[in-house]
Amino acid sequence: MTSQRPGEPRAANPLRDPRDRRLPRVPDPCALVVFGVTGDLAQKKLIPAVYDLGNRGLLPPGFALLGFARREWGHGEFASLAHDAARDHSRTEFREEVWRRIADSIRFVPGSFDDDAAFDLLAQTLIDLEDSHGIQGNAAFYLSIPPAAFPVVLKQLARTKMADNDDRGGWRRVVVEKPFGHDLASSRELNALVDDVYTPQDVFRIDHYLGKETVQNLLALRFANTLFEPTWNSHYVDSVQITMAEDVGIGTRAGFYDTAGAARDVLQNHMLQLLALTAMEEPVSFDADSLRTEKLKVLGAISLPTDLPRHAIRGQYQSGWLGGQRVAGYHEEKDIPTDSATETFAAVRLGVETRRWGGVPFYLRTGKRLPRRVTEIAVVYKRAPHLPFTAADIEELGQNQLVVRVQPDEGVTLRFGSKVPGSTMEVRDVAMDFLYGEAFTESSPEAYERLILDVLLGDATLFPRNEEVEMSWRVIDPLEEFWDGSEPEPYDAGTWGPTGAFEMLDGDGRVWRRP
Amino acid sequence: MTTLWDTNGGEVVKALSAERRSAGAVAFGIVLTLVVVVDERHAAEAMAAASAGAMAHPCRLLVVVRRQPDAAEPRLDAEVQVGGRLGTGEGVVLRMYGRLARHAESVVLPLLAPDTPVVTWWFGAPPQKIGQDPLGLLASRRITDSSAAPEPVQALRERAGDYHSGDTDLAWTRLTPWRSVLAAAFDSTTGAATGGEVTAAADNPSATLLASWLAARLGVPVGLTASRGPGITSVELTLDGDRSLRLSRADGRSATLARSDHPDRVLPLARREMGELIGEELRRLDADQPYADALANAFGLPRQHQPADKTQEHRGTANRRATPAKRTPAEATAERASRRRLGTAPTT
Repeated sequence: MTSQRPGEPRAANPLRDPRDRRLPRVPDPCALVVFGVTGDLAQKKLIPAVYDLGNRGLLPPGFALLGFARREWGHGEFASLAHDAARDHSRTEFREEVWRRIADSIRFVPGSFDDDAAFDLLAQTLIDLEDSHGIQGNAAFYLSIPPAAFPVVLKQLARTKMADNDDRGGWRRVVVEKPFGHDLASSRELNALVDDVYTPQDVFRIDHYLGKETVQNLLALRFANTLFEPTWNSHYVDSVQITMAEDVGIGTRAGFYDTAGAARDVLQNHMLQLLALTAMEEPVSFDADSLRTEKLKVLGAISLPTDLPRHAIRGQYQSGWLGGQRVAGYHEEKDIPTDSATETFAAVRLGVETRRWGGVPFYLRTGKRLPRRVTEIAVVYKRAPHLPFTAADIEELGQNQLVVRVQPDEGVTLRFGSKVPGSTMEVRDVAMDFLYGEAFTESSPEAYERLILDVLLGDATLFPRNEEVEMSWRVIDPLEEFWDGSEPEPYDAGTWGPTGAFEMLDGDGRVWRRP
Repeated sequence: MTTLWDTNGGEVVKALSAERRSAGAVAFGIVLTLVVVVDERHAAEAMAAASAGAMAHPCRLLVVVRRQPDAAEPRLDAEVQVGGRLGTGEGVVLRMYGRLARHAESVVLPLLAPDTPVVTWWFGAPPQKIGQDPLGLLASRRITDSSAAPEPVQALRERAGDYHSGDTDLAWTRLTPWRSVLAAAFDSTTGAATGGEVTAAADNPSATLLASWLAARLGVPVGLTASRGPGITSVELTLDGDRSLRLSRADGRSATLARSDHPDRVLPLARREMGELIGEELRRLDADQPYADALANAFGLPRQHQPADKTQEHRGTANRRATPAKRTPAEATAERASRRRLGTAPTT
């Protein structure tokens, strides 16, 4: 084989020209090994994403998809399951001939995680694929499995040398999904375990929010323009509100959700990442290390409110009416104990102790069974220091706002005052909208599509590193400690959360934006 | 949709803004104006392709249909549409009769979306000198399709002759999947190429560009052989150490990649719809230097500063911008004046 030794510089490819931007970045020949391939995530997201990449010509000429799961299945059953998953959930048009090419490279290895023979077979299959599919010893292992199964699977990967970069002369990477532990101690333990088996730079932690186009666009908005950055600080910004609302309940995730709650489920990862991208300084370049350096600085500078009872609110939904339907309360959900004190809503006021943000509160809220599904970052500006109008003229003038809508209706809204037509000087808020447009988002890649491609390319820019995960737990742990033993405040399903959340802003002389 | 018979440019501008107002929020994010020059027979086809291509790029579509150039009285008919099948975009079909057809820019100019890039696309056979067509001069990017010309390779030669930064040809766009697979194959191929051969249907401008691109990038002579098609059917490269790389496609849908030290692979490599090609073109609005290089190299333009030895010369062009074909000072001055009149910045 002409496989590449790690560290050996590759001879420049004469057909690659940095100016040639039509040619996509295509990964090295490699295999993607998915553990838990019969699970929900694999079927709805991972397999369709592999199909979409193949359909867009972004898979390398040598590629194989290996599924590992605990089913007594033959290859044929898995092939048809994968086919249906790709057909039902792919973003791009499903074409049988494209699928057939990918299907040629699909293998299924059945077995349980403690079965040595199954892992030996998996290792041998990877070696065989070097000859039959030319994957050159490169493989990424996607752990789409419960965290409890991590230790045993990682031990197996270490035992069979599948995690070893040098064993077959190709790269070996591992992809893990949230939850990255449930507090600082457990996340450290998990990180140590994964980083022990794989080298730390080969570990990719998926936070699918970072794969979203609009989140990446936040960086373009801030750092590619002259207009916004000069006002992006405490001189002009009054406060920042980050909202991540879901209209759904906990669905089938009762077991996990009841042990975690809203703060661990989304505040610790997605929302703190959004905060970091909003508040960070300009990175010196857009490579993974520079971006991480800036995010880490912000995460490290986050301060908790001193008045926790007023500025750290959690809630739990009760039955109510949402979108014209009667929905059950949290205690009535399947598999939830009727005395559960797990929160389904969390709102907290954080500070970022830097020169840029000193004194600017960051209000974060997230919840389930809120009126609609929406994620947005609103930068609320201060009022002009002097207004040469009479009080009556500007009665309806609010504060200027720049809102980045992450989902849905991806785009940016700018709110500012404008004169109402007529003979009096009356100023009222208007909104200027930039929409990515329905058709545009249709063609932008799914978050998982982008992130899987980045894993195969070895580009870690959009993946949080272990220090970020640990730093985020440092923010969440004291909150959890404060909340421990208390009861979450009830709120009716279909409303924007408990009274405490509104009083929190009331007391500060502000109001939540209605997203 | 508003239809205007026997109208003028001012009325069309008014109808467009009225449509925009009544359509509400759909038409905010216009990022460019796409001018499509087409004849009546292909107007519907061009509209469909442009709308598909414009899906990812909300744009204002101006379709210029030149009809009955010999009609005694010049006349303008227009259809204005916002949203609907145009997605987030908006479109105006302009039918021009008689002498007006030769002054199409007088109608188009006031309809361009303010201060956004203009792309002009000639659907069907391109004009011989696009540098002199006012509809080309007002654009920052000009898309032609030499394969639609009666003599495709000759049409491509004309493009090389009057090349300007910002020109592009769909013959080049069609190559992207081929070039991607070849580049990806070379990512894991060690050793240098010693020669090559492109096989394609006769008189295929894409094949000419592919051979020329490979020759320039690899620094080896690459031959061209005719086959029965469809389109390009194979690329074969010999590598040192008696090895080879062959990418072949017989059915226009999927291709086989055969390499000496790798197992054979079958890959999807389908011929693409016009809409997809236009979508790819609209993605980037800057000059395409690799195309300029491949085009100049294909027709030996220009070669003053290069050594006579063929392989060396190809290496030389690989990292250098192709110089546009020479124009006389008078031509250059006239062109600068036209550009200024049309409000477009001169491209270098």
